Amino acid sequence: MSETKPLAEVELNIPSRPEYVGVARLAILGVASRMRFSYDEVEDIRLAVGEACTRSIDRLNGGQSADGHTIRLRCLIDSNRLTIEVRNPLVKAGPRPEPVPDVSGLPPENDLSGVLIRILMDEVDSEEREAEGVQILRMVKYVAR
Amino acid sequence: MNLRVETRQPREGIAVISLAGEVDVYTSPRVKQEIVNLLNSDVTRMVVDLTGVEYLDSTGLGVLIGGLKRARERDGDLKLICDNVRILRIFEITGLTKIFDIYRSETEALEKL
Repeated sequence: MSETKPLAEVELNIPSRPEYVGVARLAILGVASRMRFSYDEVEDIRLAVGEACTRSIDRLNGGQSADGHTIRLRCLIDSNRLTIEVRNPLVKAGPRPEPVPDVSGLPPENDLSGVLIRILMDEVDSEEREAEGVQILRMVKYVAR
Repeated sequence: MNLRVETRQPREGIAVISLAGEVDVYTSPRVKQEIVNLLNSDVTRMVVDLTGVEYLDSTGLGVLIGGLKRARERDGDLKLICDNVRILRIFEITGLTKIFDIYRSETEALEKL
């Protein structure tokens, strides 16, 4: 997505623990606020980054505070867009428990983060680099002209 | 922790849970526990007041959906109070305004409970 060298780059590493997601949100708030995004767009980016970090934590340790994994947040700042990569170690997921049949007609309780990220950001893609042992979620938000 | 949770029972069998601060992957387990505790003590009709919430993510939404589900399983209900445009937008873009009854004031929410 980001084909040329960005104007600036900001990186942050956080432990894969729930209490550090707020640190990532604060950092991205600072980065996005320095660009020509509206208040609402900055809030959208902040929420999307929080969701991306939460997904990484969920993948790495099932949402529990534990072990020494690191989530790397990389922000590539261009004049017309902000590209954010959220990178976590590639961990092969164990078998998930069979979902309990739900007759309530209500949406699943744990299925909304992907929906939110796709709605809030302009471009979203993910890749697994097995050779490097990393999983990357890449999100782009364009500055409105 | 950046979340304050206060619960009171204005009438028997009815609880108002007031949240203030950030509801996210770190803090939402507290909200879930509060709802579970109320349901376990036979309080099945509840109002969650989001007026003081500055940030709500998908884990917070998940806790509210779970609370609604469990309350309905016990013939109860869970209604919301929210007047923050940012927070309301999250319910709108996820389609959850069709699931939750959201009111502007506690009086209105309690009347409909």
